[in-house]
Amino acid sequence: MTLINSNSTELASALLCSDVIKRFGNKTALDSLSLNISATGVTAILGANGAGKTTLINCALGLLKPNSGSISLFGKAPGLAETKQLVGVMLQDTNLPDLLSAREHIELFQSYYHTPLSISQLCELCDLDAFIDQRYKKLSGGQKRRVQFALSILGQPKIVFLDEPTTGLDISARKTVWRTIRKLSQNGTAIVLTTHYLEEADSLADHTIVMSNGQIIADAPTEQIRASAGGAVIRCSTKLDAQTIAAVEHVESVDHHGKHLEIRSADASKSVKRLFELDPSLSNLTISKSSLEDAFLELNRKV
Amino acid sequence: MSILVKETGAELLKAIRAPEFILPTIFMPSLFYTIFGVILNKGGNSADYLLATYGVFAVMGPAIFGFGTGVASERERGWLDLKRALPSPAYSYILAKLLTTLMFTAIALMPIYLIAGFVGNVELARGDWFSLFAIHLSATIPFVLIGIALGFSLNSGGAIALSNILFLSLAILGGLWFPVFLFPEFMQTLANFMPSFHLAELALSIVDTGKERATGFHTLTIIVMTLGFLALAIFAWLRQRSI
Repeated sequence: MTLINSNSTELASALLCSDVIKRFGNKTALDSLSLNISATGVTAILGANGAGKTTLINCALGLLKPNSGSISLFGKAPGLAETKQLVGVMLQDTNLPDLLSAREHIELFQSYYHTPLSISQLCELCDLDAFIDQRYKKLSGGQKRRVQFALSILGQPKIVFLDEPTTGLDISARKTVWRTIRKLSQNGTAIVLTTHYLEEADSLADHTIVMSNGQIIADAPTEQIRASAGGAVIRCSTKLDAQTIAAVEHVESVDHHGKHLEIRSADASKSVKRLFELDPSLSNLTISKSSLEDAFLELNRKV
Repeated sequence: MSILVKETGAELLKAIRAPEFILPTIFMPSLFYTIFGVILNKGGNSADYLLATYGVFAVMGPAIFGFGTGVASERERGWLDLKRALPSPAYSYILAKLLTTLMFTAIALMPIYLIAGFVGNVELARGDWFSLFAIHLSATIPFVLIGIALGFSLNSGGAIALSNILFLSLAILGGLWFPVFLFPEFMQTLANFMPSFHLAELALSIVDTGKERATGFHTLTIIVMTLGFLALAIFAWLRQRSI
């Protein structure tokens, strides 16, 4: 069931999945999943743990074989040597060998690709200079991630898969990775990242895919998904009960948040005006543009 | 080709930087040989005999540990999954590890040969030294295959435990530390199931020429065993890929 869908078939496709089914025992990880990721921009795949994000990436990389359905990357089958030349990858929970330095890892990876980036180019893109000659074991979490990221883009891929690239990183390390992802995207590389930080998708992704239970429940420009959550979120304290508020024009949902109410409205100014008419003592009012998180919660509620 | 060279270079660096791997695998065999074959030699031919068997012992360490625990830990870290998504051929990783193991095997054998020749007064024709080296070096193959099967089947903790058990059993029960003819009869029978025993007998056929040995039988047995280990290794490798 796709709640939101936008057809972007006019753009060249990087990853095309049709009716992909992947089962592990009697658990269905990907349930007749179809998608088309364009060859430019940043696409975020959002979903709770177990939604099937990593399985999808692993199938696209050829690490897992789907039970049925077809997957192609730039028209080629995943897992072939010529396909792998076009693909960069940063897997979740992966550690490189401890005893080699970043430079030694890079030099090894350069031998795999036809047109690898140079060490100085990678240092500039990923800020590696400070620790390029230290052994991987000695690096901090953020530095390790930067090395892995550098390796993922080293072959000048046309598409890069980043499976939870910033999980476990502090905010400054996360921002460095984001900066690099933006730079890379501007160079015309398609980027697919999975994340459960909504904030990450919100600030990076041109396009967002939301997964739940192995299915896609939304697939649209991030802007459009954000908008689908309703125009804005109104927070306030009021003596009105939820039922009365829900009946107010443009109000889409009402939630209790401690002493406050959270009211989602398609037209916040009109709703607020009416709320004040009903309860002149209404206080602690804030109105915020709905975030991707609101949209995400909304979508998951509908499933 | 350049991938293989780079990959082997990386494997060598990893091995050299792991003293816990290097020290026991390279120095323990020659140390043991010096003590039991040379210092405790009471005028018998133990310097000759143990040259053959400790040579096999020296080969086992880098092969079983380098592959068994090495592959298991790299697999556990997700490194092998990542490598499968890269455009480097799968065989380059295995081949690079094999070349590294052969280099370390050769390095582990040299001090044993030197001590045998210069201190233990072992006298062999030049051709026999080369034959002995060839037998010892090719003894790497069955142990590497055992290591691959372990590394692809077990997590790193399990691989370390089982590698140690196998390493010691193959050494002792195969007669690498004490000659098999000193064993009680049932242990002599048991030795026939140890690849280390057959390899040691082949090495002994060059060094210890006083005794008749069924080299044809030992050669055939070790080939059959090696094919069995190859099947196990391939099975373990395919199984972890197909999940």
